[in-house]
Amino acid sequence: MHRLRAWFLAPARLVNLVCFVLPLCIVLAYSLLSRGVYGGVELPWTFDNYRRLFDPLYAGIFLRSLWIAGLSTALCLVLGSPLAWFTARADRKRRNLYLNLVMIPFWTSFLVRTYAWMFLLRDTGLINTALMSVGLISEPLPLLYNNGAVMLGLVYGYLPFLVLPLYTSLEKIDPSMLEAASDLGAKPSTAFWTVVVPMAKPGMRAGSILVFISCIGTYLTPDLLGGSKTIMIGNVVQNQFTAARDWPFGAACSLVLMGLVMLFLRSDEL
Amino acid sequence: MNRRLFLLSVPGALAGCMRSRTKRLNVMNWGDYIGATTIRDFEREFQVKVRYGTYDNNEELFGKVMGGNSGWDVVFPTQNRVDPMRQLGLLAPLDHTRLPSLNNLFPRFQKPLWDSSLDWCVPYMWTTSGIAYNARLYHAAPESWKDLWDERARGKLTMLDDVDDVFGAALAKLGYPYNSANPDHLRHAQREIVAQKPLVRAYISTEARDQMVAGDVLIAQTFATTAQLAIDGNADVVYRHPKDPFAVYCDCGVILRESTRTELAHEFLNYTLRPDVSAGIAQTIRTATPNQKAFELLSATARANATLYPPAEVLDRAEWPLPLPPEIVRLRDRLWTEVKAG
Repeated sequence: MHRLRAWFLAPARLVNLVCFVLPLCIVLAYSLLSRGVYGGVELPWTFDNYRRLFDPLYAGIFLRSLWIAGLSTALCLVLGSPLAWFTARADRKRRNLYLNLVMIPFWTSFLVRTYAWMFLLRDTGLINTALMSVGLISEPLPLLYNNGAVMLGLVYGYLPFLVLPLYTSLEKIDPSMLEAASDLGAKPSTAFWTVVVPMAKPGMRAGSILVFISCIGTYLTPDLLGGSKTIMIGNVVQNQFTAARDWPFGAACSLVLMGLVMLFLRSDEL
Repeated sequence: MNRRLFLLSVPGALAGCMRSRTKRLNVMNWGDYIGATTIRDFEREFQVKVRYGTYDNNEELFGKVMGGNSGWDVVFPTQNRVDPMRQLGLLAPLDHTRLPSLNNLFPRFQKPLWDSSLDWCVPYMWTTSGIAYNARLYHAAPESWKDLWDERARGKLTMLDDVDDVFGAALAKLGYPYNSANPDHLRHAQREIVAQKPLVRAYISTEARDQMVAGDVLIAQTFATTAQLAIDGNADVVYRHPKDPFAVYCDCGVILRESTRTELAHEFLNYTLRPDVSAGIAQTIRTATPNQKAFELLSATARANATLYPPAEVLDRAEWPLPLPPEIVRLRDRLWTEVKAG
């Protein structure tokens, strides 16, 4: 029996090894090597790349990225929870429609959707033009190229990552549980906090993790919606592999980022 | 057919297949950087098949070809990447007997700084960095880089999202070389960039075109080719070469060392040097050709276009950004990261 199970798991293990463990080992090795003159890596082995991360400059960027990702995740929870609840409580036919509506944006690429936001948020974009033609404002609002725009792009882009797992949790809640709670004298709010929320927790956790991890590694959104005026750790990593041609430092940055995210998730569990 | 006969016939059949298969060439170039029918015409004339791919920046190109088994034959790096690629052993030397059309180039481009006898690369198209502005809506005509530090430009100004050019403009404003490798110059320039940042709406490159056309951005550091596209969309846009040094960039065709089709690759490079072909490409993508014979084919108005073809006395102020030493690249990246994180 055990034998059989091992055989069935073998392909998955192999994929995991080749596509995940090995590349990660390469990243680790790169992070301990020296920078090649035109990119790439060279001997000798060194810890320098990790030492550079203690520089307040990069520590500050790490903190800012954690903050932006955390805030975006919180916003996604605030916006996504009612949506997931509403969808899970709708009747069966509607439910599929709503779920499809949540997923439709995924049919186009993230890049295209981000460009679409640029067109909406520009000085001569739809929002500013509309507000100006109604006479609400006389000067275009600076909607694009600031932290608000970056946050908007992140929340918009990753909201479905939160809604879908949360929906799966909420959908499993049997309405009779709420009836039972109310029969036993619980007010709707008490029933919600003591019955629904604990049962929704796994979905909230899974969704938040997905959103948080996606947000913290992002580099496209700060570039396009932030006009490259702010920098997140994803941009630092990207830059090391491109313009700065410092692969070892980029590898060290991304490993430390992974480590931080793992720590963060662990601390959440405890 | 018995087995022996079958086995004997296999190599022959395979050879037959190889012969009948059309020759293939793998060309990778910048996005939107070729004429509408250039590739098709080449395929038809030489009876070959071209696999054509694109990239967005030199770093992407570098990443792809660095391993030495990318599968591409001809690529088009910017001049300051040619020598690093040669040093990494990525380039095949050019055989001038197969490139008779090299003589079509302007003398300036036959002996460029970065490859003085064109042993490794063939100039393809070139452009400059300068200032585009909206002549109707912006209060004054900018004349030098310091006009990008004008308080009245606040919120209406974009700079290139490119460490070479943002530092270049600040260095030139201070009277240093655009491509300075002096750490003190770079630190001084960084202070200027930090001071300028509150005025800057965004650091963007090609997107500046749409925003100049729409009138969201009234003054921008851009490449001439981006500015030309903006001018095509909005006649109020004007492009100026500053009075200080500015950059001139030339993308060059090179043959990769890994290529097994160097003969055909030379044929392709020579094809891009044909006057009609080069002129067609330059007209389509709105940039400048380094090819004198092609230039002579252009209309009088196209030839007089000072955005793409600045007069010789203006071009004399230009600097060709060349590769910087690695420790300077690292310092500059750090200074630039500080600007962005600030």
